[in-house]
Amino acid sequence: MKRLNAPKGWSQLLFVAPTEPWAALRAAASAGAAGTTATLIAAGLRGRGGGGFLTGAKWQATAAEPASQYFAVANGYESDPAVFTNRLLMEENPQAIVEGLAIAALTVGAREAFIAVRAEYTEAIKRLEAVIANAEREGILGATLLGTGRELIITVRPLQGSSMIGEETVLMKALAGKRGQPEQTPPYPSEVGYLGKPTAVNNVATLAAVPWILNNGAEAFAQIGDSAQPGTVLVQISGSVANPGVIEVPTGTPLNEIIAAAGGTASGASIKALLAGGPTGGFIPANLFGGTPYSGAGLKGVGAHIGSGALLALDNSVAIPELATMLTRWCADEACGKTIPCRIGTRRLAEIGQRFVDGLAGPADAERLQKLAADVTDSALCAHEALAPSPLLTGVRYFASEFGPAVAASSATPTSGRS
Amino acid sequence: MPRIPGTGLLSGMRLTLTRFFQPKRTVLYPEVKPDIAPRNRGRLELVTDEHGTLKCETCFQCAQACPIECIDMGGTDTKGRFAVHWGPAEQYAERREESAMRRSGRTVSDAAAATGATINTAKVDEILEAHDYDPHHMLAILEEIQAAYGYLPVDALKRVSRATGAWYAMVYGTATFYKHLAFEPGVTRSIAVCRCANCLVSGAGSVMGTLSYEFGTEFGRAIPWSNLRLESLPSHLPDAPSPLVVIDGEPQRDLSAKNAASWAAALAGRYAA
Repeated sequence: MKRLNAPKGWSQLLFVAPTEPWAALRAAASAGAAGTTATLIAAGLRGRGGGGFLTGAKWQATAAEPASQYFAVANGYESDPAVFTNRLLMEENPQAIVEGLAIAALTVGAREAFIAVRAEYTEAIKRLEAVIANAEREGILGATLLGTGRELIITVRPLQGSSMIGEETVLMKALAGKRGQPEQTPPYPSEVGYLGKPTAVNNVATLAAVPWILNNGAEAFAQIGDSAQPGTVLVQISGSVANPGVIEVPTGTPLNEIIAAAGGTASGASIKALLAGGPTGGFIPANLFGGTPYSGAGLKGVGAHIGSGALLALDNSVAIPELATMLTRWCADEACGKTIPCRIGTRRLAEIGQRFVDGLAGPADAERLQKLAADVTDSALCAHEALAPSPLLTGVRYFASEFGPAVAASSATPTSGRS
Repeated sequence: MPRIPGTGLLSGMRLTLTRFFQPKRTVLYPEVKPDIAPRNRGRLELVTDEHGTLKCETCFQCAQACPIECIDMGGTDTKGRFAVHWGPAEQYAERREESAMRRSGRTVSDAAAATGATINTAKVDEILEAHDYDPHHMLAILEEIQAAYGYLPVDALKRVSRATGAWYAMVYGTATFYKHLAFEPGVTRSIAVCRCANCLVSGAGSVMGTLSYEFGTEFGRAIPWSNLRLESLPSHLPDAPSPLVVIDGEPQRDLSAKNAASWAAALAGRYAA
C-alpha cells in the first residue's frame, strides 16, 4: 500500500517527522507530568485505537494509580488482515512514535516501555530499533533519560499468531507470555496492565501525534478536523477506487471527499457501498457518503466504526450477504473462545448468514439474527465480539432486498435499533 | 378383507377402557415422590436443532459440574488439532481415573515423566537459561523451542513448566493459542489463503471452501496423510494479487475470482496424485 497525497487544505501531521528531534520530549520533561497531560487534554487528543479516550486523561489516571512500577506500551499490532496504516506510519515516521512513547513513559513514570509490532513487519521493526539505538547512543533514552539519571528502556516486541493481540487487555497478556484472551474492563490497563501494574497503552497513531502537539501547541491541534475528536486519522482506502492507498484524513471529513481523494471511482465501476472498519466493520450505502463524516461518532451513527482505518469500496458485482457472511466467519474463526456468546454466537450468525446466501432462510431467521446479534454485542468482553455482528446487521439494514423477501418485508416497518 | 364398520371405534374404546381400569400414572409431586434410585439423574441425550445440527457445543460445563464424573468429555483444542480435557488445571489433560485418584488423596503418576523423555531437552535447557527461567518470556521461549526442534514437543513443554514454575496448563494454553506455534512434527509445507476483505471479495472464500473440501480437512490443520498444512495467512502482502494464495511461501499469481474454485480443485488433485 502506498501513501496518497492529501488534497490541499487537509492538515497533515502524522507523517511529518519532528523538525527538531526530541524537542517535544525535552518540553515534556520541563513541563512535568501535570503540564504535559494538561496540554494533551486541551488539544483534545483521543485514542486512535478505537476506545476514543482522552489520551491526557488516560495518562493522568495511570500516573495517579499507586504502584511500585509503571509501564508504557505502544500498540502497533494491526489486527485486521491487509490493513497497513500503522505499518506505513511506523516505517515512515518511527521518530514520532518513539518520541511519543518516551513522553508517555516520562509522564506516567514508567522505566520500561514496549512497542508491540507484528512480527511480519520486519522493516518497521528495523527502523524503530534504529531510532531507539540512536537515542541511546546520544544519551536521550536508555540508562539516563535526557541525562536526568532516570532510566527508560524502550524495546520493540515482535508478536504474531492471533488477530486478538491488537485488543489492549490481550496485548498485556501476550507481552507477558500468556494465552491471549481478553479481560473484563474496568479495571483498564491504566489500573491493572502489564504484569498487573498500571500501564499506559496507546495506539502508535495516537503517540505519533503527541510530539506534534507539544511542538506546535494544543490550539493548533484542536482546530484540525471534528471538534469532538480533533486531529487526523490514517485511512486505507482500497477496492473499486482509481487510486487505492493510505491517506491522512482530518476527522469529520465526509466519506465522498475521501473517495474523491483516492482518485474517485475506478473506471468502469460504480461504488454501491463502503465497508468501513475492516472485517468487523459496517457497510455504508452510497446515498450516505455525503452526509457521513469520518469520525468516531459519525461512523457509529451509521453502524460502522473507524477501527483500523480501513475503507473498502465495493462495486455492484459484490453480493453483500455473501461478503458479510464470510467476514462473520472470519470473526468466528478468530474468536479467542473466552466468551461463549462470541465463540458460539458468531458461528451461529455466520450460519444464519449462509442460509440467506443459499436462499434457505426461514421466516424466523431475520428476527433470530437481530436477537442473536444483540446478545453477542451485549455480552462482549472486547471490541472484537461487540463489533462482530456489524457486517450482517448493517447489511440487513441497508441492503435488505439482497437478503431476500423475508428481510425486505420486515425492514419495511423499521424497529428501534439498539444503539 | 372387507372392512367392517365400527371395528376402529371398538379397538379405540378397548384401549380407553383398559387404561380406565389401570392404576393412575399421575403423581402429585412433590407431595408424592416417584420411586426411583436416589442418584438417578435421568438419561443423557444429545439433542439436535431444527436444522439437524448437534446442539452440543462441547463447552465441558456438564462434565465439570457432574458430581460423580460420569460425563467424560473430550474435544479438540482451539486450533482443532489435539484432544483436550478443558477446564481448571486439575482437570486439564487428566483422565477421569487420575482426577479421581487425586481427589481421593493418592499420588498420581505423571504419564509423560514415567515413560521418560523422548526428546533430548538439552536445547530446551539452553533456551530457558538464556531467558533466565522467566515465565513472562513464555512466547519467546516457545518460539525458540519451535525454531530448534521444528515443532513443540510435549516433553519440552513439560520441561518448560517444571523449570519456570508456570503451570503446565498455562504453558499449554499459550502454546495452543498462537497460530504460528505448531505441534505436528514433520509438517514442512503449507497452503495459506488470505482472508482479508479484499481477497474475500475476489474469491478467497470459494478457494478456501474448495481446498478444504478437496483435501478433506479444515483450515488450521495439517492433512493427516501428508506434510502439508492448510492455514489462513496472518497478513496480506502489500500489493499482492487477490485472491492471495501462498504455497510454501510463494504467492500464486495465476488466480482470479472466476477460476478460483477450479484452480483449487486442480491444486488438490496435483497433491493427491
